[in-house]
Amino acid sequence: MGVDTHSAAALVQLSLSPDFDHVGILRIADADGRNALSEPLVHALLARLAEAAQDERIHCLVLCGLPDVFCAGASRDMLASIVQGRIAPTDILLSKAVLDLPMPVVAAMAGHAIGGGLALGLCADILVLARESRYGASFMNMGFTPGMGITKLLEHVMSPALAAEILFSGEPRRGRDFIGMTGVNYIVPRVEVEERAFAVAARIAEKPRTSLQLLKRTLSLPRRQAFEATRTMESLMHEISFGQPDAAKRIEENYD
Amino acid sequence: MTREQVLKVVSKHLMDAVDGLEESKIDPARSMKDLGANSLDIVEVVSRSMRELKVKVPRSELSKLTNINELVDTLLKAASTAPEQRA
Repeated sequence: MGVDTHSAAALVQLSLSPDFDHVGILRIADADGRNALSEPLVHALLARLAEAAQDERIHCLVLCGLPDVFCAGASRDMLASIVQGRIAPTDILLSKAVLDLPMPVVAAMAGHAIGGGLALGLCADILVLARESRYGASFMNMGFTPGMGITKLLEHVMSPALAAEILFSGEPRRGRDFIGMTGVNYIVPRVEVEERAFAVAARIAEKPRTSLQLLKRTLSLPRRQAFEATRTMESLMHEISFGQPDAAKRIEENYD
Repeated sequence: MTREQVLKVVSKHLMDAVDGLEESKIDPARSMKDLGANSLDIVEVVSRSMRELKVKVPRSELSKLTNINELVDTLLKAASTAPEQRA
């Protein structure tokens, strides 16, 4: 698929922080599409992530979204393409692209993060959530099994029992519901999310890039391994759950 | 089931979803958005209300509603339907 470079750049912006040395900012900013993972947005994100990975000036990357939505998961069109078999969910390598970034990543999730959008945030090393926003794994609400590695990624920040409930129930919980229940780094009022994320990133970015890179590889190893194992299982589950005769109807009836 | 009971269920879930919203401030002639609920809050209020009332209303019908009164009427109508006809 061809991607218009200009519009792709507008959907996802990569910049250096004007306030903090060596802090990069990757902002998902598809206001018209409400930051739902459409094909153009996924391509733009992958392109910007690849650029960030190569940029030696960035010691720590802050992943941001729009004020009210961090990332909304797969768009309706994207899900239709998956059901029709035009795209395999495993082709969506966003999670891997974030997990494989050589520098530490702070997810500033001020707005909602649902489904694949939550999975994307969970690929970061450090998470900042908003008390008011909602976070959930909506996959099962639409009748298909979870993807983008979330089956295991949730356990990075919460107990397997709580992760199981979030995955089975599809309930989008408010950030404040997670206070005291997870290992998420910060859950603060929405207006403070980015400020907190940048404060953390600035402190990290002072360190030498090579040492950060070494530590990142080491600390992210369990998640990268878990992701690879999970991809295999998620892919098997998707073949069956998306292949059900009523899959398209269920998505149409339950997509929010 | 009475209309008041349905309104009470919806109000309960709305208050749970919106920080600081008091029952006295819920004017059913207004939309949930007017009362501070965002799109995901609204989905959650509707889905919790349907679950508690043991009714199911298609998304296509819900998307047409413009205020709380209309939601209550829709849920009440669904609740009055014979159980075997409920989706």
